[in-house]
Amino acid sequence: MKSGSSLPAPRKGKRVLLLAAGLLCGALGFSGLAGAEGPADDRWWGPGEDRTWPEVLDYPNANGILRTLITGGPVQTKGHPFFEPMGPNGRACISCHQPADAMSLAVETIQERWRVTNGTDPIFAAYDGSNCPVLPQGEAASHSMLLEHGLFRIERPWPITEYEGRAVTPDFTIEVVRDPHGCNSGVQYGPENGRISVYRRPRPLANLKYLLAVGFAYDPKQGLTLPRDPDTGEYLSGNLMSDNRAVNLRLQMEDAASTHGEMIDRLSPAAIQAITAFNLSVFTAQQVGAHGTALDSLGATGGPATLRDSEAGALGSIGVPVFSEFAVWETIAPEEAARLSPEQLEWRRSVARGARVFRDKTFLITDSAGINSPMGFGNPVRNSCVFCHNMTRMGNDVAPGQVDLGTTTLPFADPLPDFPLFRITCTGDPHPHYGRVILTYDPGFALTSGRCADVGKITLQSLRGLSARAPYFANGSAKDLEGVVDYYERRYNIGYTAQERQDLINLMSAL
Amino acid sequence: MRHLIALAAASLPVMSASAAQAADNQRFIACPIYRDADAGAKSGCWLVTDPATGQQWDVSQSPYKPDWNYAVLVEGTAADTAERPCGAPVLDPVRTSRLETQCLRHMLPAEGYPGRPFVRPARNISPLSNPPAPPPGPYSERAFTLFFELDRSFVVYQYGDYLLDQAAHWIRATNPRRLVVTGYAASEPETVSGQVIAERPEMAQQRAEVVALSLSRLFPDMEIETHAVTGAQVNDHPDADGIPGQSQRRVEITALF
Repeated sequence: MKSGSSLPAPRKGKRVLLLAAGLLCGALGFSGLAGAEGPADDRWWGPGEDRTWPEVLDYPNANGILRTLITGGPVQTKGHPFFEPMGPNGRACISCHQPADAMSLAVETIQERWRVTNGTDPIFAAYDGSNCPVLPQGEAASHSMLLEHGLFRIERPWPITEYEGRAVTPDFTIEVVRDPHGCNSGVQYGPENGRISVYRRPRPLANLKYLLAVGFAYDPKQGLTLPRDPDTGEYLSGNLMSDNRAVNLRLQMEDAASTHGEMIDRLSPAAIQAITAFNLSVFTAQQVGAHGTALDSLGATGGPATLRDSEAGALGSIGVPVFSEFAVWETIAPEEAARLSPEQLEWRRSVARGARVFRDKTFLITDSAGINSPMGFGNPVRNSCVFCHNMTRMGNDVAPGQVDLGTTTLPFADPLPDFPLFRITCTGDPHPHYGRVILTYDPGFALTSGRCADVGKITLQSLRGLSARAPYFANGSAKDLEGVVDYYERRYNIGYTAQERQDLINLMSAL
Repeated sequence: MRHLIALAAASLPVMSASAAQAADNQRFIACPIYRDADAGAKSGCWLVTDPATGQQWDVSQSPYKPDWNYAVLVEGTAADTAERPCGAPVLDPVRTSRLETQCLRHMLPAEGYPGRPFVRPARNISPLSNPPAPPPGPYSERAFTLFFELDRSFVVYQYGDYLLDQAAHWIRATNPRRLVVTGYAASEPETVSGQVIAERPEMAQQRAEVVALSLSRLFPDMEIETHAVTGAQVNDHPDADGIPGQSQRRVEITALF
């Protein structure tokens, strides 16, 4: 994006909400909006505001309405450390974890903040809200990674010296092939200066009991017993961050405070406790889908209430099948079908079919570390989406979910000319699939573990609230849900029919 | 965790008659071929051809399956069945260890062969939410064994992790004084299909340390020693499934009271 280039037209939050509400009035099984509590004109929650966060909070999006629930009663934001600025750049946790965006930050919201604040919102802070602090900060072009892809700069130390409490010597070298923004070269940045910059999406801070849940004591991808939480001694899920660099909520928030928040002091124990309690209380999911369809109608159990009320950590293959919340829509009784419009009926059926496709449509998975190596599944292995997205109701991985889908690494990644490009050379064993030399936009988990075999691995995340938080994948390379399905189609030559593709898109829009 | 490294050639394990039936055991190196027999998730077929005899075998039942880009060391026994779900006689039990020799990847269509629907193997661990009942006593010194792919120290899913979990389950119930973890490497060179193969001697220690790390996470306060033994010999542990080479590539966990 060039400086001064136009951004898309502003979003009409209130109008969208009213339109959605109007559609809902005719929808069978409409479970009600919390419109009075979810102020559409105030969908942005700024740091330091004095507001009441209600127990039910609804926001419209292009596919319907997202609902966010909190347990434990309403929260007053004034004085709460999740909402108060933590450092000189004025950001709080809420800056990048917005309820309208499923507790992440949609690129549409980012663009709107640029327009509304003329680029002065704290999310555009030079440290990581610009492509690089050395760039002129008043220009949109200096924030193009955030404005165009929804990506914040993540600075990682190099070389890695420690992982999981053990000394580490990386078994690869890293060189910079291309540095379009200046944060991987020069006198301050780059591997030679101990600072590698990659660009990633903020992860949703919601439904965390699922991301923290541990199903088994072993990590099949590492061939080891799970590591223990340094604070509690419990097993760690390994599913919190895209590169697993912070293994529990305390470490995640300390990492975020010192980097994104540029906080100089450490978070106090009381602040950590308050933020943790709030984080664990938040559940979010799409509540209303297309055509005003309440996702918990006609016996379906979509929406965040089911997430809030269910046990976390179950493997779908041996319990409740993944996304079977919509299975009842496979066979809607004629008398109920007659009360729906043709579009409402077909959309429900499509969502239910999409869940079937997600679980049952198998394809050959090839050359994907974390799947095809080293566990013994073979390369290739035939399976479906739920091979990895296997946790009941959430679709994250019950095991630590570090997998290389190729979204960040050549030859599988889409061309990303405005991303830095790194050349990895394995100095020990070659990578099991890429060989000794690898070109990548983001080494991912390897920047945490120091292992060449982990280059390109990114932790699977929740599939909930997708309609509210485009773009997708850790590097934002899929602009929309269509882009997600189409990436998988290209990557694994799946052969989805047009109907299957649309059913999957409709399913994901309903999560 | 204490690391008491004792490198020594081992000659202690005993080879029984069942493990010594070399005539029934196939052992060769080959490039794997994938047959896309689609009987659902994890249903594909792996085929290999013994270069000495030209006999093609179905090796799909290996707990660690091939990578179609690399040669494999095949070790197994002809199954007592006339069924050919993948189009070739079946080796079962069987192991396929990935080697570094590159192969031309090749995939066959199903060609009418049904493959096998995936069946959860007997060796799979229980979720933490459903722990098995404590093992019955009395308890005394006991050893547990895990097995590995050739020249690798990775604890394989639904094989090695199950054996480790069995050990952990017993150790948790018995609370021994300390654990001794001994890694073995089959480091004596052997010629297979005209190629000399041997495990790196350091694999013995590497295996011991990997298992010790897992045990230290399972039992953070327990004293754990590691030992390494090269020149591992064949034994007849039942979880090696009668495959001599598999029985050499192992770690033994001994619980001392």
